[in-house]
Amino acid sequence: MAQVTQALPRPKQAPWQRRNLKNIVLITLASVLPSLLAIAITVAFSIDGAIGLVAVFLPIQILATVAVGQYLYKKRGRQDAVLMIFTIFFSTLVVVLLTSVLVSVFQRGAAMMRLSFISQNATYISSTTSLDYGGLGHAMLGSLAIVGFTTLVTVPLGVGVAIYLTESRSGSRGIVRSLIQSMSGLPSVVSGMFIYSALIVTGVSHQIGLTGSLALIPLMLPTVARVCEEALRLVPGDLRSAALGLGAPSYRMFLQVVLPAARTGIITAVLLGVARVIGETAPLLLTVNAAANTNLNIFDGPIETLPTFLFRNLSYGTDNSIQRAWGAALVVLFLVLIIFTLARTVGGDKKVAKPKKRK
Amino acid sequence: MNLSTATSHLRSEDINVWFGERHVLADVNLDFPSNQVTALIGPSGCGKSTFLRTLNRMHELIPSAGLAGSVLLDGQDIYGDGVNPVDVRIKIGMVFQKPNPFPTMSIKENILSGLKLSGRKFVNGDDIVETSLRRASIWNEVKDRLGEPAISLSGGQQQRLCIARSLAMEPEVLLMDEPCSALDPGSTRRIEETIEELSEAMTIVIVTHNMQQAQRVSHQTAFFLAEDGNPGTVVEFGSTDDVFNRPVDARTNDYVNGHFG
Ligand SMILES: Nc1ncnc2c1ncn2[C@@H]1O[C@H](COP(=O)(O)OP(=O)(O)OP(=O)(O)O)[C@@H](O)[C@H]1O
Ligand SMILES: [Mg+2]
Repeated sequence: MAQVTQALPRPKQAPWQRRNLKNIVLITLASVLPSLLAIAITVAFSIDGAIGLVAVFLPIQILATVAVGQYLYKKRGRQDAVLMIFTIFFSTLVVVLLTSVLVSVFQRGAAMMRLSFISQNATYISSTTSLDYGGLGHAMLGSLAIVGFTTLVTVPLGVGVAIYLTESRSGSRGIVRSLIQSMSGLPSVVSGMFIYSALIVTGVSHQIGLTGSLALIPLMLPTVARVCEEALRLVPGDLRSAALGLGAPSYRMFLQVVLPAARTGIITAVLLGVARVIGETAPLLLTVNAAANTNLNIFDGPIETLPTFLFRNLSYGTDNSIQRAWGAALVVLFLVLIIFTLARTVGGDKKVAKPKKRK
Repeated sequence: MNLSTATSHLRSEDINVWFGERHVLADVNLDFPSNQVTALIGPSGCGKSTFLRTLNRMHELIPSAGLAGSVLLDGQDIYGDGVNPVDVRIKIGMVFQKPNPFPTMSIKENILSGLKLSGRKFVNGDDIVETSLRRASIWNEVKDRLGEPAISLSGGQQQRLCIARSLAMEPEVLLMDEPCSALDPGSTRRIEETIEELSEAMTIVIVTHNMQQAQRVSHQTAFFLAEDGNPGTVVEFGSTDDVFNRPVDARTNDYVNGHFG
């Protein structure tokens, strides 16, 4: 009779995870001693913290790791050690710097968080009014209206450009791509200046929401077009061949095969585009008139947005208005965080719907 | 059915192919009578896939592609003025070297995708799905999971799905580029049986590296060869029996008997 193979529990350690005591001790020492030594030296010679980090700690840590690496794994260990220390050191540095920015926004902004700050607008609110009155509700709605309109215009444009860049064989694709690329380096204030001089100085329009929306378009377009182009480019050529080989006209091939396969990428492109412009300040300062009341009509009247609300409160310079500015900063940060999380979850989505239940 | 008097269904005349300035195929004149299976054999890189792609105008989708010559389908040049490549590809179906099911679609949707993509109306979708899957001998394996994504299938199953997808279009000619290169012996045998059955309804051209397979499935064989950077040509073309057992050219003899180069 054939013997049935029994299932065994998985061993605690795979062969490549084995460590002996000597290695553990040495590696622990190399990770702890250099920092202790560096602290001692910086304190003893009262060296500035930042200098101590780079000029004292980094060399000592590299030496120690290299020594252990050399001892344990010879030449290979030495090179690995240097690379490891550099990557860990600098990525930690970047993470620490970024977190400190975030933490300070959270600390200062959190004090401002209350329902009224989110739900009320700023009518009859001066720079010295108590923090319990007034808020940025009108600015959130204004941002929504202005960025919403920008998105409405930019997404078809950007997706269109991306389609042109990936699906056509035209010779001028190179020029269009370079143009889009250089647009992404356009300083946002220039975009505002352009609308200001073209529409507002010439008297075509007042400073209304629409002019703000228009000024944001050149800033959003490159992001949408480029991320979208990447998404379309990732669709394998095999699928295009398959569709064309089945007798599909190009437009059906694109609409029914390429677009669904790139769907999540395109949604990501839109979200990243929104995140790109939601915090833009300079072009809106030039093209939109401030308002303290709620206005959702981008075609008429002054309208407030989150970044301009933040900027104006900062420029009043009183304790209360600066506190409001921090609050606004936190709100913007939160919105961007939400958008990026959305982009991540959508982007990480499985391409195909979950299998349906079998009958 | 009388195979002997069949009219020439598909025919290539003086097909020459370039990629950029590189001449990769020269003067290919082949005849594919209807209801016959033709095997294209030859060493890697001699232009078999490229030739196959010229037969249903997939070749022109490669940006650097160049072509001279004509391909006649029932006497009509598929490269003639005013011929829509889309119509050509509906009549002349293709199974690719690598399985390429649509990842966003379920198994069932994949089968019907050709009809939808070419804008054809159909009513009995379920019947089409079942018949096509049966003809590609994969029905039993997938009949309970038609709604699942096509990429959940194994490589060999995906290839048979792709064959079924082409069959759903009921093409007049089916071009197959090494359809069994990713399959196990069992699936290969089933595909070969499928080819035999299909040949009653359509003309088949199959590229294969497997000499036994060529002998098993094909009525006629063309041996392609590209020597030292020269463009590929057809060295020998005739009935499969002749090409394998009484080759005229010494190079064919070497190739089919496995001592080449
Ligand atoms: N897209 C392309 N661009 C440029 N050259 C190509 C392209 N496709 C194929 N070629 C060249 O054309 C020649 C024939 O290629 P082809 O793919 O037709 O060979 P094959 O006989 O099918 O080989 P295999 O048996 O390996 O599939 C090769 O020299 C190849 O390098
Ligand atoms: Mg090939």
